[in-house]
Amino acid sequence: MACKKLATNLLLPQVLHAALETIINRAFALNIRQLSLVHLEQKTLTLELSELDSPMSFTVVENKMLVNAVIDRSDCIIRTSLQTLKKLKAEQQLTTLIKQGELDVVGDIKIAQQFSALAEQLEIDWQSELAKQIGDVPTHKLLHFGNKITKKVNHTLKQLENDVGEYVVHEKRLVVTDSQVSSFNQSVNQVSSQVEKLSTRLNQLATKFSVSSDTRTDSAPNSNFK
Amino acid sequence: MSSSPKHSQHSTSQNTATETNESTTHFGYKTIEKDDKISMVAGVFHSVAKQYDVMNDLMSFGIHRLWKRFTIDASGVRPGNKVLDLAGGTGDLTAKFSQLVGRNGKVVLADINSSMLNVGRDKLRDKGLVQNIDYVQANAEYLPFEENTFDIVTIAFGLRNVTDKDKALRSIYSVLKPGGRLLVLEFSKPEHELLNKAYDFYSFNILPKMGELVAKDGESYQYLAESIRMHPDQETLKNMMDNAGFEQSSYKNLTGGVVALHKGYKF
Repeated sequence: MACKKLATNLLLPQVLHAALETIINRAFALNIRQLSLVHLEQKTLTLELSELDSPMSFTVVENKMLVNAVIDRSDCIIRTSLQTLKKLKAEQQLTTLIKQGELDVVGDIKIAQQFSALAEQLEIDWQSELAKQIGDVPTHKLLHFGNKITKKVNHTLKQLENDVGEYVVHEKRLVVTDSQVSSFNQSVNQVSSQVEKLSTRLNQLATKFSVSSDTRTDSAPNSNFK
Repeated sequence: MSSSPKHSQHSTSQNTATETNESTTHFGYKTIEKDDKISMVAGVFHSVAKQYDVMNDLMSFGIHRLWKRFTIDASGVRPGNKVLDLAGGTGDLTAKFSQLVGRNGKVVLADINSSMLNVGRDKLRDKGLVQNIDYVQANAEYLPFEENTFDIVTIAFGLRNVTDKDKALRSIYSVLKPGGRLLVLEFSKPEHELLNKAYDFYSFNILPKMGELVAKDGESYQYLAESIRMHPDQETLKNMMDNAGFEQSSYKNLTGGVVALHKGYKF
């Protein structure tokens, strides 16, 4: 409740909507092919994600996307979580997800599919766009450097994957388990306490021995006097 | 610096009384004849109209865009709706509403000030928004529309400049359709004392200087700060809406109460 009030006070949903609206419309503008949004004109898809307090409505207006929280006008409302949203690409999973209660769809599902298709049609030539901003040579160098880094990161990841695999398959079998360590520790403690007892006993015996030998040496001259 | 506490004290004591008596009213901290207020406010807005958007962004650090987005979200606007954006100024709300009501809907951008209306009209036309927008120069106290015309009426950062706010609220009520709603976005009283003090310091020491520097008009921005302090606080405005006939009136504080969005229905 307090979080919700704070989010309203700081207008966090509006910040998110403004950012999304800018990004989506920029992506539309940069798309290689001109996207036709005529079939979606004035159509609204609303997402109610369990992770967010505020709904997100996407409305197409004159080849632009408006993002806001007005749900009264929605043609399709999808209630789900971010995790499930990723699974929606596979259409055959829809029924299963609805049955499992992970997804709730109100309204025309075709609208949701058309919006999803729109996202899949996005194809941006980042190289050309970057070249327009910083020039051809810096773009080439930057991308070359980027590719090198990507290759190195991929190589490192693959190596890490192999090392982890080897560890799991071979080395993990040889590694002592927690119960083995605790049993060993217990044995060490036992031995240590036994050694301690033995040492105490030896000390006692040594004391006894020295006392008796003293008594014997003391008594010998006395007998001579007798 | 030293003026802040004085202003703050003044605002607290005056927050609930916007009109002094039958023939006088406030213009910032000044008490003036009611008949003079329209021309004096008009003078302020004629002076700042061209720099209005730039100053809004500067003064609010761009947050006014989020406040307006919140208003749109709370409006529940649908395709085909008729919307009146009262005191609509340079048309920020009109632009969004125009897109959301679609071709079958209509947005009327109304402002008492012709300079603001001209700037708004030019801006919206430059954006290609021409199809469903009408422009009307109108006084909020005497709206020139038939009863039960609009589904939504908004007034963003305008009500505090109206001479007789009660009369304006009654006038808005009459032009709303049954089921229609009024949204008042306006500066209000910050919820926390510390924020209130910081806000006072900013309003009376930094804002007028910013106005002087950018819009070459420090006085208008001094008026802006004073008029905000003289505007009724959240609860008072809610009661005024109730008295005008609105039902289920409520408000939400934004940015710690620096701004509040009031909403009321006509049933």
